[in-house]
Amino acid sequence: MIFMTLAGVTLRALLGRRRTILMLLLAGVPVLMGLLVRANGGGVRDVGAVLDGLVVRVVLPLVALVFGTAALGSELEDGTAVHILTKPIRRSTIILAKIAVAGTLTAVMLVPSTILAGILLGRAGSGSLGITFGMAVGVLVGSYIYVAIFIALSVITSRGLILGLGYALIWEGVLAGLLPGSQVFSVREYVRGIAATINPAAADSIVGTGAVLYAAVALAAATAIASVRLAVYELRGSD
Amino acid sequence: MTAPSFAELPTADAAAPVAGPPAALVLERVSRWYGNVVAVNDITFALGAGVTGLLGPNGAGKTTILHMLAGLLKPSAGRVSVGGQPAWRNPAVYRSIGLVPEREAVQAFLSGRGFVELAARLQGLPDPVAAAAKAIATVDLEVAADRMVGTYSKGMRQRVKIAAALVHEPSILLLDEPFNGMDPRQRIHMIALLRSMADAGRAILFSSHILEEVERLADGVLVIHAGRLAAAGDFREIRRLMTDRPHTFVVRSSDDRRLAAAFMTEPAVFGTELRDSRLTVKVAEFGGFTRAVARVARDAGVSLFEVAPTDDSLESVFAYLVSRR
Repeated sequence: MIFMTLAGVTLRALLGRRRTILMLLLAGVPVLMGLLVRANGGGVRDVGAVLDGLVVRVVLPLVALVFGTAALGSELEDGTAVHILTKPIRRSTIILAKIAVAGTLTAVMLVPSTILAGILLGRAGSGSLGITFGMAVGVLVGSYIYVAIFIALSVITSRGLILGLGYALIWEGVLAGLLPGSQVFSVREYVRGIAATINPAAADSIVGTGAVLYAAVALAAATAIASVRLAVYELRGSD
Repeated sequence: MTAPSFAELPTADAAAPVAGPPAALVLERVSRWYGNVVAVNDITFALGAGVTGLLGPNGAGKTTILHMLAGLLKPSAGRVSVGGQPAWRNPAVYRSIGLVPEREAVQAFLSGRGFVELAARLQGLPDPVAAAAKAIATVDLEVAADRMVGTYSKGMRQRVKIAAALVHEPSILLLDEPFNGMDPRQRIHMIALLRSMADAGRAILFSSHILEEVERLADGVLVIHAGRLAAAGDFREIRRLMTDRPHTFVVRSSDDRRLAAAFMTEPAVFGTELRDSRLTVKVAEFGGFTRAVARVARDAGVSLFEVAPTDDSLESVFAYLVSRR
């Protein structure tokens, strides 16, 4: 009951008009690319690689970052969170409701986008449907993990947005590819690993089926850290 | 009007229980610092039912004290308890606390009713709709209840926050500058409301930097200055301390020199100074001097043009109260 109340108010806060339109535009980019390719009569051979580069590497972390940091971080910043914090609610319940709503919003925008883009991009007979399905499942799981991490960041620091952007661009984008073994700490690798688990042709993953385990651990750790930090959260701006 | 159960704990023996029922709000040797800045410095008090005013100039540490009582800040030293339970890291205390924060931020996309119902639902009340309607009626906001909070005036936001804080009928109410932005009619209504809640046995602590607000509403008062407890107790006692302190007056008259000489024969006056054709009179007692000043001038055959106290800012009152402890 309280979980649903929290989820409801979070959903209304997140669906501000401007943010929703911007995120829909961002989620539409892969579909637009698919339409362009299709209009030119083409079709790519390796749908998995294109979806990885387009959705998993760019659009997914950005949408998750915006919803993840807005779900709790902006309430903590603007002071409306006080009305939720001063209630007899377990802090983990607050965090779980935030992750559920922000993660679901991210997934609702990006899973259809991934599927549509995959169908439009894939060349007939290249097994692209199976690959697309694998990637879509990976994106679904990745939405919740990313959001959980960004929510935890926004509780720990008021610079959650900047740090999250740094994580997505610098760590995921550059470092995690260069340093062997560092993929274990990369959500992008989990997404690729899950896709590969469902359809081995979707991605050549280093973590492989272990990705499911890593993803579960990452989600649990981010949830736990966010809950503990929220329990000792000190209101900023006291005199 | 019930007398408040108000007791200041002796600093050296902070853990000693106050006589009677356990105090609702207790600070024991509490300090709070931010880096090198001390916001609250070794404060001890215990409050029971009744209205207590937390009086002090802006930046004195009032909000820090309220936030520690509301479990939103960890005391750097000492113990803060609410209804016998620790306030920090203990969400269960929010069943008995209602907090009205000073910041206006309210989810702007909710109606006033939606905002109060949200509070009722998060409190887990069995009938949130009825509880919210009752709280909205209590703060006299029914007319605007279905408008978006984003369209509210400052006073209306203040009232909708109070309704949300009252919705679960808490035994303890903490209000940070609750009268900011209210018009005089709303103030009178709010004072009556808080008084009736205190008479029903609730412990109410509100902060204010305006002496008159505290005087009209509070039974007990805690005077905070620069993070320290400058005075605590009955308001009439504090008022007496404030009026009995030394005052300085500037006097303009038809013959300042003659008047200065005449003043020096008065026991209430302990010094006069004539500089830049301005007569400054230092008096030991406010009341004695103000009663004597007209008589002295008449006897000396001097016309008074102006008698003005120079240092009656609240700031100097607080500084005086701190200096005498």
